[in-house]
Amino acid sequence: MDPKDLYKQTLLKHSKSPHNEGELIDSTHQAKLTNSLCGDEVTVYLKIESNSIQRATFTAQCCSICTASASMLTQKVQGLPTEEAHYFAQKITTQLQDKDKPLVLSADDELQSLEGVKQFKSRIRCATLPWEAMLASLASSSE
Amino acid sequence: MAKPSNTIQPPAIPDILQKAREDFPILKRTVNGKPLVYLDNGASTQKPQAVIDVLNRYYSNENSNIHRGVHLLSVEATSAYEEARHTITDFIGANDDSEIIFTRGTTESVNLVAHSFVEPQIQAGDEILITHMEHHANIVPWQLLCERTGAILKVAPIDENGALDLEAFKNLLSEKTKLASFVHVSNAIGVINPVAEMIAAAKEKGVPTLLDAAQSIQHMPLNVKELDCDFLAFSGHKIFAPTGIGVLYGKRALLDEMRPYQGGGDMISTVSFEGTTFKEPPSRFEAGTPHIAGAIGLKAAIDYLQSIGLETIARYEEELLKYATVQLRAIDGLRIIGNPAKRAGAISFVMENAHSHDVGTILDTEGVAIRSGHHCCEPLMKRLGVSATTRASFSFYNNHTDVDTLVSALKKVSILFE
Repeated sequence: MDPKDLYKQTLLKHSKSPHNEGELIDSTHQAKLTNSLCGDEVTVYLKIESNSIQRATFTAQCCSICTASASMLTQKVQGLPTEEAHYFAQKITTQLQDKDKPLVLSADDELQSLEGVKQFKSRIRCATLPWEAMLASLASSSE
Repeated sequence: MAKPSNTIQPPAIPDILQKAREDFPILKRTVNGKPLVYLDNGASTQKPQAVIDVLNRYYSNENSNIHRGVHLLSVEATSAYEEARHTITDFIGANDDSEIIFTRGTTESVNLVAHSFVEPQIQAGDEILITHMEHHANIVPWQLLCERTGAILKVAPIDENGALDLEAFKNLLSEKTKLASFVHVSNAIGVINPVAEMIAAAKEKGVPTLLDAAQSIQHMPLNVKELDCDFLAFSGHKIFAPTGIGVLYGKRALLDEMRPYQGGGDMISTVSFEGTTFKEPPSRFEAGTPHIAGAIGLKAAIDYLQSIGLETIARYEEELLKYATVQLRAIDGLRIIGNPAKRAGAISFVMENAHSHDVGTILDTEGVAIRSGHHCCEPLMKRLGVSATTRASFSFYNNHTDVDTLVSALKKVSILFE
Protein backbone atom coordinates (compact mmCIF):
# COMPACT_ATOMS: atom_id res chain seq x y z
CA MET A 1 0.00 0.00 0.00
CA ASP A 2 1.25 3.42 -0.87
CA PRO A 3 0.45 6.17 1.63
CA LYS A 4 0.02 8.53 -1.30
CA ASP A 5 -3.17 6.61 -2.18
CA LEU A 6 -4.53 7.82 1.12
CA TYR A 7 -2.91 11.20 1.45
CA LYS A 8 -3.91 12.73 -1.86
CA GLN A 9 -2.87 16.30 -2.60
CA THR A 10 -6.39 17.70 -2.20
CA LEU A 11 -6.75 16.01 1.15
CA LEU A 12 -3.39 17.33 2.34
CA LYS A 13 -4.30 20.83 1.13
CA HIS A 14 -7.44 20.79 3.27
CA SER A 15 -5.71 19.31 6.30
CA LYS A 16 -2.87 21.83 6.21
CA SER A 17 -5.13 24.84 5.57
CA PRO A 18 -8.64 23.88 6.60
CA HIS A 19 -11.62 26.01 5.63
CA ASN A 20 -14.20 27.27 8.11
CA GLU A 21 -12.28 26.16 11.16
CA GLY A 22 -13.37 27.80 14.38
CA GLU A 23 -16.37 28.20 16.62
CA LEU A 24 -19.47 29.78 15.12
CA ILE A 25 -20.66 32.37 17.60
CA ASP A 26 -24.19 32.61 16.22
CA SER A 27 -24.67 28.92 15.49
CA THR A 28 -28.17 27.53 15.95
CA HIS A 29 -27.08 23.90 16.07
CA GLN A 30 -23.92 22.18 17.20
CA ALA A 31 -22.70 18.73 18.18
CA LYS A 32 -19.43 17.25 19.30
CA LEU A 33 -18.50 13.67 18.52
CA THR A 34 -15.54 11.68 19.78
CA ASN A 35 -13.92 8.63 18.31
CA SER A 36 -13.39 6.66 21.51
CA LEU A 37 -10.92 4.43 19.73
CA CYS A 38 -8.38 7.21 19.36
CA GLY A 39 -9.74 10.20 21.26
CA ASP A 40 -10.21 12.38 18.19
CA GLU A 41 -13.00 14.89 18.55
CA VAL A 42 -14.89 17.10 16.13
CA THR A 43 -17.51 19.73 16.77
CA VAL A 44 -19.69 20.87 13.88
CA TYR A 45 -21.46 24.24 14.21
CA LEU A 46 -24.37 25.13 11.96
CA LYS A 47 -26.32 28.30 11.50
CA ILE A 48 -29.69 27.27 10.13
CA GLU A 49 -32.29 29.70 8.91
CA SER A 50 -35.46 28.81 7.02
CA ASN A 51 -34.41 25.16 6.85
CA SER A 52 -31.21 26.06 5.10
CA ILE A 53 -27.61 25.95 6.31
CA GLN A 54 -26.35 29.52 6.17
CA ARG A 55 -22.96 28.81 7.75
CA ALA A 56 -21.07 25.71 8.78
CA THR A 57 -17.84 25.63 10.78
CA PHE A 58 -15.93 23.10 12.81
CA THR A 59 -13.40 22.76 15.57
CA ALA A 60 -11.39 19.61 15.96
CA GLN A 61 -8.57 17.82 17.63
CA CYS A 62 -7.93 15.15 15.11
CA CYS A 63 -5.84 13.67 12.34
CA SER A 64 -5.35 15.01 8.83
CA ILE A 65 -8.07 12.84 7.30
CA CYS A 66 -10.64 13.95 9.81
CA THR A 67 -9.60 17.61 9.50
CA ALA A 68 -9.73 17.48 5.70
CA SER A 69 -13.09 15.75 5.76
CA ALA A 70 -14.47 18.39 8.14
CA SER A 71 -13.08 21.21 6.03
CA MET A 72 -14.65 19.85 2.85
CA LEU A 73 -17.88 19.17 4.72
CA THR A 74 -18.29 22.80 5.72
CA GLN A 75 -17.76 23.90 2.13
CA LYS A 76 -20.14 21.29 0.81
CA VAL A 77 -23.11 21.93 3.06
CA GLN A 78 -23.02 25.68 3.26
CA GLY A 79 -26.10 26.94 1.43
CA LEU A 80 -27.78 23.55 1.24
CA PRO A 81 -31.32 22.92 2.51
CA THR A 82 -31.02 20.93 5.74
CA GLU A 83 -32.83 17.98 4.23
CA GLU A 84 -30.39 17.80 1.37
CA ALA A 85 -27.39 18.12 3.71
CA HIS A 86 -28.82 15.35 5.84
CA TYR A 87 -29.31 13.10 2.84
CA PHE A 88 -25.82 13.80 1.54
CA ALA A 89 -24.16 13.15 4.93
CA GLN A 90 -25.88 9.80 5.18
CA LYS A 91 -24.98 8.93 1.61
CA ILE A 92 -21.30 9.74 1.86
CA THR A 93 -20.97 8.02 5.25
CA THR A 94 -22.44 4.84 3.82
CA GLN A 95 -20.31 5.07 0.71
CA LEU A 96 -17.10 5.60 2.68
CA GLN A 97 -17.86 2.49 4.69
CA ASP A 98 -18.41 0.36 1.60
CA LYS A 99 -14.98 -0.77 0.52
CA ASP A 100 -16.21 -2.54 -2.60
CA LYS A 101 -17.89 0.42 -4.29
CA PRO A 102 -16.32 3.71 -5.34
CA LEU A 103 -17.55 7.05 -4.07
CA VAL A 104 -20.27 8.39 -6.35
CA LEU A 105 -19.56 12.09 -6.57
CA SER A 106 -19.21 14.57 -9.37
CA ALA A 107 -15.77 14.38 -10.95
CA ASP A 108 -14.67 17.77 -9.64
CA ASP A 109 -15.88 17.17 -6.11
CA GLU A 110 -12.92 17.51 -3.75
CA LEU A 111 -14.53 14.94 -1.46
CA GLN A 112 -13.35 12.40 -4.01
CA SER A 113 -9.97 12.74 -2.29
CA LEU A 114 -11.38 10.75 0.65
CA GLU A 115 -11.69 7.68 -1.57
CA GLY A 116 -8.33 6.34 -0.37
CA VAL A 117 -9.57 5.57 3.16
CA LYS A 118 -11.51 2.59 1.83
CA GLN A 119 -8.22 0.71 1.58
CA PHE A 120 -7.26 1.64 5.14
CA LYS A 121 -9.95 0.09 7.28
CA SER A 122 -8.72 1.59 10.55
CA ARG A 123 -9.03 5.09 9.10
CA ILE A 124 -12.56 5.06 7.65
CA ARG A 125 -14.06 6.46 10.84
CA CYS A 126 -11.60 9.38 10.63
CA ALA A 127 -13.33 10.41 7.40
CA THR A 128 -16.89 9.77 8.56
CA LEU A 129 -16.64 11.37 12.03
CA PRO A 130 -17.30 14.98 10.88
CA TRP A 131 -20.31 13.83 8.84
CA GLU A 132 -21.68 11.96 11.82
CA ALA A 133 -21.11 15.08 13.91
CA MET A 134 -23.05 17.12 11.38
CA LEU A 135 -25.94 14.65 11.49
CA ALA A 136 -25.88 14.91 15.28
CA SER A 137 -25.78 18.67 14.97
CA LEU A 138 -28.81 18.66 12.66
CA ALA A 139 -30.61 16.48 15.19
CA SER A 140 -29.73 18.78 18.09
CA SER A 141 -32.46 21.17 19.16
CA SER A 142 -31.98 24.77 18.14
CA GLU A 143 -31.32 27.16 20.94
CA MET B 1 18.29 25.31 17.68
CA ALA B 2 20.39 22.65 16.03
CA LYS B 3 19.06 19.14 16.37
CA PRO B 4 21.09 16.98 18.72
CA SER B 5 23.66 14.69 17.21
CA ASN B 6 22.59 11.19 16.37
CA THR B 7 25.97 9.61 16.64
CA ILE B 8 25.54 6.68 18.93
CA GLN B 9 26.72 3.16 18.45
CA PRO B 10 23.96 0.58 18.19
CA PRO B 11 23.87 -1.60 21.30
CA ALA B 12 25.62 -4.94 21.15
CA ILE B 13 23.08 -7.75 21.16
CA PRO B 14 23.92 -10.54 23.61
CA ASP B 15 24.08 -13.93 21.87
CA ILE B 16 21.18 -15.26 23.89
CA LEU B 17 18.94 -12.43 22.66
CA GLN B 18 20.16 -12.68 19.09
CA LYS B 19 19.03 -16.29 19.16
CA ALA B 20 15.80 -15.50 21.04
CA ARG B 21 14.49 -13.37 18.18
CA GLU B 22 14.32 -16.55 16.13
CA ASP B 23 11.93 -18.02 18.70
CA PHE B 24 9.10 -15.67 17.65
CA PRO B 25 7.56 -16.96 14.42
CA ILE B 26 5.44 -13.85 13.85
CA LEU B 27 8.58 -11.73 13.53
CA LYS B 28 9.29 -13.53 10.28
CA ARG B 29 6.14 -12.31 8.56
CA THR B 30 5.74 -9.33 6.31
CA VAL B 31 3.26 -6.48 6.60
CA ASN B 32 2.29 -4.56 3.50
CA GLY B 33 5.11 -6.27 1.68
CA LYS B 34 7.74 -5.18 4.23
CA PRO B 35 9.36 -7.19 7.03
CA LEU B 36 7.38 -6.68 10.23
CA VAL B 37 8.96 -4.28 12.70
CA TYR B 38 6.92 -4.82 15.83
CA LEU B 39 7.16 -1.85 18.19
CA ASP B 40 3.78 -2.14 19.89
CA ASN B 41 4.90 -4.32 22.77
CA GLY B 42 3.28 -2.02 25.31
CA ALA B 43 -0.09 -3.00 23.83
CA SER B 44 0.70 -6.70 23.59
CA THR B 45 3.82 -8.80 23.20
CA GLN B 46 4.42 -11.56 20.68
CA LYS B 47 4.50 -15.21 21.66
CA PRO B 48 7.56 -17.45 21.48
CA GLN B 49 7.26 -20.88 19.88
CA ALA B 50 7.58 -22.41 23.36
CA VAL B 51 4.27 -20.80 24.38
CA ILE B 52 2.54 -21.70 21.14
CA ASP B 53 3.72 -25.30 21.49
CA VAL B 54 2.45 -25.55 25.05
CA LEU B 55 -1.01 -24.34 24.02
CA ASN B 56 -1.03 -26.82 21.18
CA ARG B 57 0.07 -29.62 23.51
CA TYR B 58 -2.52 -28.71 26.12
CA TYR B 59 -5.41 -28.70 23.67
CA SER B 60 -4.11 -31.78 21.86
CA ASN B 61 -3.36 -33.92 24.90
CA GLU B 62 -4.53 -32.58 28.23
CA ASN B 63 -7.63 -30.50 27.66
CA SER B 64 -10.14 -31.00 30.44
CA ASN B 65 -11.72 -29.11 33.30
CA ILE B 66 -9.77 -28.66 36.50
CA HIS B 67 -10.54 -29.40 40.16
CA ARG B 68 -13.51 -31.53 39.09
CA GLY B 69 -12.86 -34.88 37.52
CA VAL B 70 -11.28 -38.02 38.86
CA HIS B 71 -10.27 -39.01 35.36
CA LEU B 72 -6.70 -38.71 34.17
CA LEU B 73 -7.16 -35.75 31.85
CA SER B 74 -8.71 -33.66 34.60
CA VAL B 75 -5.95 -34.65 36.96
CA GLU B 76 -3.31 -33.66 34.41
CA ALA B 77 -5.02 -30.37 33.59
CA THR B 78 -5.37 -29.57 37.30
CA SER B 79 -1.75 -30.26 38.03
CA ALA B 80 -0.59 -28.22 35.00
CA TYR B 81 -2.78 -25.30 36.14
CA GLU B 82 -1.49 -25.46 39.71
CA GLU B 83 2.10 -25.84 38.52
CA ALA B 84 1.58 -22.64 36.57
CA ARG B 85 0.52 -20.92 39.78
CA HIS B 86 3.63 -22.19 41.50
CA THR B 87 5.86 -20.86 38.72
CA ILE B 88 4.35 -17.41 39.25
CA THR B 89 4.86 -17.66 43.01
CA ASP B 90 8.56 -18.25 42.43
CA PHE B 91 8.79 -15.72 39.62
CA ILE B 92 7.57 -12.78 41.70
CA GLY B 93 8.90 -14.05 45.02
CA ALA B 94 5.55 -14.60 46.75
CA ASN B 95 5.43 -16.64 49.95
CA ASP B 96 2.91 -19.19 48.88
CA ASP B 97 0.86 -20.32 45.88
CA SER B 98 -2.30 -19.22 47.68
CA GLU B 99 -1.18 -15.62 47.15
CA ILE B 100 -1.50 -15.95 43.36
CA ILE B 101 -4.97 -15.41 41.90
CA PHE B 102 -5.54 -15.97 38.22
CA THR B 103 -7.61 -13.21 36.62
CA ARG B 104 -8.33 -12.11 33.08
CA GLY B 105 -5.65 -9.46 33.27
CA THR B 106 -4.49 -6.35 35.09
CA THR B 107 -7.87 -4.66 34.67
CA GLU B 108 -9.71 -7.49 36.38
CA SER B 109 -7.07 -7.65 39.10
CA VAL B 110 -7.61 -3.97 39.93
CA ASN B 111 -11.39 -4.42 39.90
CA LEU B 112 -11.06 -7.42 42.19
CA VAL B 113 -9.11 -5.39 44.76
CA ALA B 114 -11.65 -2.57 44.49
CA HIS B 115 -14.60 -4.89 45.03
CA SER B 116 -13.27 -7.44 47.49
CA PHE B 117 -10.66 -5.56 49.51
CA VAL B 118 -11.47 -1.86 49.49
CA GLU B 119 -15.23 -1.65 49.17
CA PRO B 120 -16.17 -3.58 52.33
CA GLN B 121 -14.06 -1.28 54.49
CA ILE B 122 -14.46 2.11 52.84
CA GLN B 123 -16.84 4.84 53.93
CA ALA B 124 -17.99 8.14 52.53
CA GLY B 125 -15.17 10.64 52.87
CA ASP B 126 -12.41 8.00 52.83
CA GLU B 127 -9.85 8.25 50.06
CA ILE B 128 -8.12 6.24 47.35
CA LEU B 129 -4.79 7.61 46.15
CA ILE B 130 -3.57 7.17 42.57
CA THR B 131 -1.22 9.19 40.35
CA HIS B 132 -1.80 11.45 37.36
CA MET B 133 -0.12 8.98 35.01
CA GLU B 134 -2.42 6.00 35.56
CA HIS B 135 -3.92 3.89 32.80
CA HIS B 136 -7.72 4.14 32.67
CA ALA B 137 -7.76 0.64 34.23
CA ASN B 138 -6.34 2.16 37.41
CA ILE B 139 -8.65 5.19 37.34
CA VAL B 140 -12.11 4.04 36.34
CA PRO B 141 -12.54 1.16 38.85
CA TRP B 142 -11.82 3.69 41.62
CA GLN B 143 -14.19 6.26 40.18
CA LEU B 144 -16.91 3.63 40.11
CA LEU B 145 -16.09 2.65 43.68
CA CYS B 146 -16.21 6.29 44.76
CA GLU B 147 -19.60 6.68 43.09
CA ARG B 148 -20.91 3.68 44.98
CA THR B 149 -19.51 4.62 48.36
CA GLY B 150 -19.01 8.38 48.51
CA ALA B 151 -15.26 7.93 48.83
CA ILE B 152 -12.90 10.45 47.25
CA LEU B 153 -10.31 9.77 44.55
CA LYS B 154 -7.07 11.67 45.19
CA VAL B 155 -4.52 12.12 42.41
CA ALA B 156 -0.82 12.69 43.04
CA PRO B 157 0.54 15.23 40.53
CA ILE B 158 3.36 14.82 38.02
CA ASP B 159 5.69 17.43 36.55
CA GLU B 160 5.96 18.52 32.92
CA ASN B 161 8.57 15.79 32.29
CA GLY B 162 6.08 13.16 33.33
CA ALA B 163 7.82 12.44 36.64
CA LEU B 164 5.82 11.89 39.80
CA ASP B 165 5.92 14.56 42.49
CA LEU B 166 6.97 12.17 45.24
CA GLU B 167 6.61 14.70 48.04
CA ALA B 168 3.07 15.51 46.96
CA PHE B 169 2.31 11.79 46.82
CA LYS B 170 3.58 11.38 50.39
CA ASN B 171 1.60 14.37 51.58
CA LEU B 172 -1.60 12.95 50.10
CA LEU B 173 -1.29 9.80 52.20
CA SER B 174 -3.37 10.07 55.35
CA GLU B 175 -5.41 8.03 57.78
CA LYS B 176 -8.31 8.48 55.36
CA THR B 177 -6.43 6.69 52.56
CA LYS B 178 -7.75 3.15 52.22
CA LEU B 179 -5.47 2.19 49.34
CA ALA B 180 -2.68 3.68 47.27
CA SER B 181 -2.77 2.20 43.77
CA PHE B 182 -0.14 3.18 41.25
CA VAL B 183 1.65 2.18 38.12
CA HIS B 184 5.23 0.93 38.19
CA VAL B 185 6.08 1.90 34.60
CA SER B 186 3.85 4.25 32.62
CA ASN B 187 2.44 2.53 29.56
CA ALA B 188 2.15 5.84 27.74
CA ILE B 189 5.55 7.45 28.29
CA GLY B 190 7.74 4.77 29.83
CA VAL B 191 8.55 6.63 33.07
CA ILE B 192 9.63 4.36 35.94
CA ASN B 193 8.10 5.39 39.24
CA PRO B 194 10.08 5.32 42.49
CA VAL B 195 7.86 2.53 43.75
CA ALA B 196 10.11 1.42 46.61
CA GLU B 197 9.86 4.88 48.14
CA MET B 198 6.15 5.11 47.39
CA ILE B 199 5.42 1.79 49.07
CA ALA B 200 7.61 2.68 52.05
CA ALA B 201 5.81 6.01 52.47
CA ALA B 202 2.43 4.29 52.30
CA LYS B 203 3.52 1.69 54.85
CA GLU B 204 4.63 4.41 57.22
CA LYS B 205 1.06 5.72 57.19
CA GLY B 206 -0.43 2.25 57.36
CA VAL B 207 -1.86 2.51 53.82
CA PRO B 208 -2.06 -0.69 51.76
CA THR B 209 -0.64 -0.59 48.24
CA LEU B 210 -1.54 -2.04 44.84
CA LEU B 211 1.22 -1.99 42.26
CA ASP B 212 0.23 -2.07 38.59
CA ALA B 213 3.13 -4.01 37.10
CA ALA B 214 1.57 -4.48 33.65
CA GLN B 215 4.42 -2.57 31.98
CA SER B 216 7.31 -3.49 34.26
CA ILE B 217 7.09 -7.24 34.83
CA GLN B 218 8.44 -8.02 31.34
CA HIS B 219 11.27 -5.49 31.52
CA MET B 220 12.95 -5.91 34.91
CA PRO B 221 13.27 -8.37 37.79
CA LEU B 222 10.52 -7.89 40.40
CA ASN B 223 10.15 -9.35 43.85
CA VAL B 224 7.03 -8.72 45.90
CA LYS B 225 8.78 -9.47 49.19
CA GLU B 226 11.47 -6.91 48.50
CA LEU B 227 8.95 -4.38 47.22
CA ASP B 228 6.63 -5.20 50.11
CA CYS B 229 3.56 -4.15 48.14
CA ASP B 230 0.29 -5.61 49.41
CA PHE B 231 -1.06 -6.35 45.94
CA LEU B 232 0.50 -6.58 42.51
CA ALA B 233 -1.27 -6.96 39.18
CA PHE B 234 -0.09 -7.89 35.71
CA SER B 235 -1.36 -9.28 32.41
CA GLY B 236 -0.18 -12.41 30.67
CA HIS B 237 -0.34 -11.07 27.14
CA LYS B 238 2.16 -8.33 27.91
CA ILE B 239 4.66 -10.91 29.08
CA PHE B 240 4.63 -13.18 26.00
CA ALA B 241 1.67 -15.30 27.18
CA PRO B 242 -1.89 -15.52 25.78
CA THR B 243 -4.54 -12.84 26.20
CA GLY B 244 -7.28 -13.39 28.77
CA ILE B 245 -5.00 -14.49 31.59
CA GLY B 246 -3.51 -12.28 34.28
CA VAL B 247 -2.45 -12.33 37.88
CA LEU B 248 -3.32 -10.65 41.11
CA TYR B 249 -0.81 -11.20 43.87
CA GLY B 250 -2.06 -10.40 47.36
CA LYS B 251 -0.59 -10.94 50.81
CA ARG B 252 -2.28 -13.98 52.27
CA ALA B 253 -3.35 -12.23 55.47
CA LEU B 254 -5.25 -9.68 53.40
CA LEU B 255 -6.72 -12.25 51.01
CA ASP B 256 -8.04 -14.21 54.01
CA GLU B 257 -10.15 -11.24 55.05
CA MET B 258 -11.50 -10.47 51.61
CA ARG B 259 -14.96 -11.26 50.31
CA PRO B 260 -15.38 -13.20 47.04
CA TYR B 261 -15.24 -11.29 43.79
CA GLN B 262 -17.67 -13.37 41.76
CA GLY B 263 -19.88 -16.24 42.82
CA GLY B 264 -19.94 -19.57 41.04
CA GLY B 265 -18.41 -22.98 40.83
CA ASP B 266 -14.99 -23.85 42.22
CA MET B 267 -14.97 -21.02 44.77
CA ILE B 268 -17.27 -22.62 47.35
CA SER B 269 -16.80 -25.13 50.14
CA THR B 270 -20.48 -25.97 50.53
CA VAL B 271 -23.62 -24.60 48.95
CA SER B 272 -27.12 -24.80 50.31
CA PHE B 273 -30.11 -22.53 49.95
CA GLU B 274 -29.66 -21.56 53.59
CA GLY B 275 -26.17 -20.31 52.97
CA THR B 276 -22.89 -20.91 51.23
CA THR B 277 -19.38 -21.13 52.57
CA PHE B 278 -16.40 -20.14 50.52
CA LYS B 279 -13.05 -21.73 49.87
CA GLU B 280 -9.79 -20.33 51.09
CA PRO B 281 -7.70 -18.12 48.81
CA PRO B 282 -6.91 -18.33 45.97
CA SER B 283 -9.95 -20.46 44.97
CA ARG B 284 -12.33 -18.02 46.68
CA PHE B 285 -11.49 -15.51 43.95
CA GLU B 286 -11.58 -17.85 40.95
CA ALA B 287 -15.25 -18.57 40.29
CA GLY B 288 -16.10 -20.68 37.27
CA THR B 289 -13.83 -22.48 34.87
CA PRO B 290 -10.71 -20.37 34.50
CA HIS B 291 -8.54 -19.81 31.44
CA ILE B 292 -6.62 -23.04 32.02
CA ALA B 293 -4.68 -22.95 28.76
CA GLY B 294 -3.86 -19.30 29.42
CA ALA B 295 -2.37 -20.10 32.83
CA ILE B 296 -0.32 -22.93 31.35
CA GLY B 297 0.78 -20.61 28.54
CA LEU B 298 1.76 -18.01 31.12
CA LYS B 299 3.94 -20.56 32.87
CA ALA B 300 5.60 -21.41 29.56
CA ALA B 301 6.22 -17.70 28.89
CA ILE B 302 7.76 -17.18 32.32
CA ASP B 303 9.92 -20.28 32.00
CA TYR B 304 11.07 -18.96 28.63
CA LEU B 305 11.78 -15.50 30.03
CA GLN B 306 13.73 -16.94 32.92
CA SER B 307 15.83 -19.02 30.56
CA ILE B 308 17.03 -15.71 29.11
CA GLY B 309 17.16 -13.80 32.37
CA LEU B 310 15.46 -10.53 33.20
CA GLU B 311 18.76 -8.90 34.21
CA THR B 312 20.09 -9.50 30.70
CA ILE B 313 16.85 -8.20 29.22
CA ALA B 314 16.82 -5.08 31.41
CA ARG B 315 20.43 -4.21 30.55
CA TYR B 316 19.93 -4.69 26.82
CA GLU B 317 16.64 -2.83 26.65
CA GLU B 318 18.13 0.13 28.47
CA GLU B 319 20.82 0.40 25.80
CA LEU B 320 18.28 -0.07 23.01
CA LEU B 321 16.05 2.68 24.45
CA LYS B 322 19.04 5.02 24.69
CA TYR B 323 19.88 4.32 21.07
CA ALA B 324 16.28 4.87 19.98
CA THR B 325 15.99 8.09 22.01
CA VAL B 326 19.08 9.60 20.38
CA GLN B 327 17.96 8.56 16.88
CA LEU B 328 14.44 9.89 17.38
CA ARG B 329 15.61 13.21 18.81
CA ALA B 330 17.62 13.82 15.67
CA ILE B 331 14.48 13.83 13.47
CA ASP B 332 13.33 17.32 12.51
CA GLY B 333 10.01 18.28 14.04
CA LEU B 334 9.88 15.29 16.38
CA ARG B 335 9.42 15.91 20.09
CA ILE B 336 9.64 13.18 22.71
CA ILE B 337 6.87 13.43 25.31
CA GLY B 338 7.97 12.87 28.85
CA ASN B 339 11.58 13.11 29.81
CA PRO B 340 11.93 10.85 32.80
CA ALA B 341 15.23 10.18 34.51
CA LYS B 342 14.47 6.46 34.29
CA ARG B 343 12.61 4.90 31.42
CA ALA B 344 11.50 1.41 30.46
CA GLY B 345 9.63 -0.05 27.54
CA ALA B 346 8.20 2.91 25.70
CA ILE B 347 9.07 6.19 24.02
CA SER B 348 6.20 8.51 23.12
CA PHE B 349 6.53 11.37 20.70
CA VAL B 350 4.67 13.86 18.54
CA MET B 351 5.58 15.22 15.13
CA GLU B 352 5.19 18.87 14.27
CA ASN B 353 2.93 18.59 11.24
CA ALA B 354 1.57 15.08 11.42
CA HIS B 355 -1.08 13.74 13.76
CA SER B 356 -0.20 10.47 15.47
CA HIS B 357 -2.81 8.51 13.51
CA ASP B 358 -1.36 9.69 10.25
CA VAL B 359 2.07 8.74 11.55
CA GLY B 360 0.71 5.32 12.51
CA THR B 361 -0.80 4.69 9.08
CA ILE B 362 2.33 5.67 7.20
CA LEU B 363 4.53 3.57 9.48
CA ASP B 364 2.16 0.66 8.87
CA THR B 365 2.72 0.94 5.14
CA GLU B 366 6.42 0.53 5.94
CA GLY B 367 5.73 -2.58 8.04
CA VAL B 368 6.28 -0.75 11.33
CA ALA B 369 3.66 -1.41 14.02
CA ILE B 370 3.38 1.27 16.70
CA ARG B 371 0.50 2.64 18.76
CA SER B 372 -1.03 6.04 18.24
CA GLY B 373 -3.60 7.83 20.34
CA HIS B 374 -4.08 8.55 24.02
CA HIS B 375 -2.90 5.09 25.21
CA CYS B 376 -5.83 4.83 27.63
CA CYS B 377 -4.25 7.68 29.61
CA GLU B 378 -6.37 10.71 28.77
CA PRO B 379 -5.63 12.61 32.01
CA LEU B 380 -1.88 12.11 31.49
CA MET B 381 -2.08 13.30 27.89
CA LYS B 382 -3.96 16.40 28.98
CA ARG B 383 -1.40 17.12 31.69
CA LEU B 384 1.44 16.87 29.16
CA GLY B 385 -0.42 19.14 26.75
CA VAL B 386 -1.04 16.68 23.94
CA SER B 387 -4.18 14.94 22.74
CA ALA B 388 -2.43 11.97 21.22
CA THR B 389 1.09 10.65 20.75
CA THR B 390 2.89 8.03 18.74
CA ARG B 391 4.37 5.36 20.97
CA ALA B 392 7.14 2.99 20.06
CA SER B 393 7.36 0.29 22.71
CA PHE B 394 10.15 -2.22 22.81
CA SER B 395 10.90 -5.75 23.82
CA PHE B 396 14.09 -7.78 24.07
CA TYR B 397 13.51 -9.19 20.58
CA ASN B 398 13.77 -5.75 19.03
CA ASN B 399 17.12 -4.60 17.72
CA HIS B 400 18.77 -1.49 16.32
CA THR B 401 17.65 -2.39 12.80
CA ASP B 402 14.06 -2.06 14.02
CA VAL B 403 14.92 1.40 15.35
CA ASP B 404 16.60 2.37 12.08
CA THR B 405 13.55 1.24 10.08
CA LEU B 406 11.30 3.26 12.40
CA VAL B 407 13.50 6.32 11.95
CA SER B 408 13.60 6.08 8.17
CA ALA B 409 9.81 5.61 8.05
CA LEU B 410 9.37 8.68 10.26
CA LYS B 411 11.51 10.67 7.85
CA LYS B 412 9.02 9.74 5.11
CA VAL B 413 6.25 11.08 7.34
CA SER B 414 8.14 14.37 7.70
CA ILE B 415 8.46 14.70 3.93
CA LEU B 416 4.78 13.95 3.25
CA PHE B 417 3.51 16.38 5.85
CA GLU B 418 6.15 19.11 5.66
